Amino acid sequence: MTGTEFMTLRENEDVKIVDVKADLSSYAATDLRKVLEKLLNEKVDKVVVNFSEVNHINSTAVGTLVGIAKRLRQNDGDLKLCNLASTLTRTFNLIGASSVVEIYESEKSAIAAFQ
Amino acid sequence: MEKDYIELKVPSNVYYLESVRAFIGKLSETLRFSKKRIADIQLAVDEICSNAVYHGSTCISSGILMQVYVNTQKLKIVVRDKGKADTREWLTPKRLEEIQARRSPTGESGHGLYLIKCLADEHNLKQNNVGGTDVTAIFYRKERTNED
Repeated sequence: MTGTEFMTLRENEDVKIVDVKADLSSYAATDLRKVLEKLLNEKVDKVVVNFSEVNHINSTAVGTLVGIAKRLRQNDGDLKLCNLASTLTRTFNLIGASSVVEIYESEKSAIAAFQ
Repeated sequence: MEKDYIELKVPSNVYYLESVRAFIGKLSETLRFSKKRIADIQLAVDEICSNAVYHGSTCISSGILMQVYVNTQKLKIVVRDKGKADTREWLTPKRLEEIQARRSPTGESGHGLYLIKCLADEHNLKQNNVGGTDVTAIFYRKERTNED
């Protein structure tokens, strides 16, 4: 459980997977930050965020993901994203964040990238 | 077609921006924008309204006003905030340039105005007469050609 209606948490061996259940505008982005910061505090270092149920993301949420990815890398971990709709990928590309955060087509390939 | 006008007043709280985004998405669909363009319009409105809440409001009751103009040629959206009387944090074109000059893909903030510039066919920021900022974004209803 994540303590939020917008996200659920699963795990695949040592990788935590966050399933985002809502479009990520500024309101839901606050919950995303809380969930990811909780994982950071729990010393989790491998995180995949699954966007298969997301149709919209704004710059606040992108900034949150960039910030968390940087902090995870400081601990030799990383944050990887998967299953992004083309409109979401476009937002990452416009901002330039796709050069900072790794984006994968599927959850399987995102998890495999940690091996 | 005469210019149609729609006005939406929203409390200064991001909680309500999902509804604003849904409204502008449905309107854009009615106006026969493409799916890709509807996503652009929704994102631009999300960014403009988020800025108005975070940087243009002192409290939830400050409110933001969205004015929508529609004609056969374009969809014009103006979002008006009342500003922060304590900081006078106006998002003037000069400030936009400053923010963009500092913007980095690795940064966690400062991307909103840049996105608005990328997504809208035209955009404008100006100080309004109620102490805040009017942000305008225009989306043409047909792809522009060199002849337009």
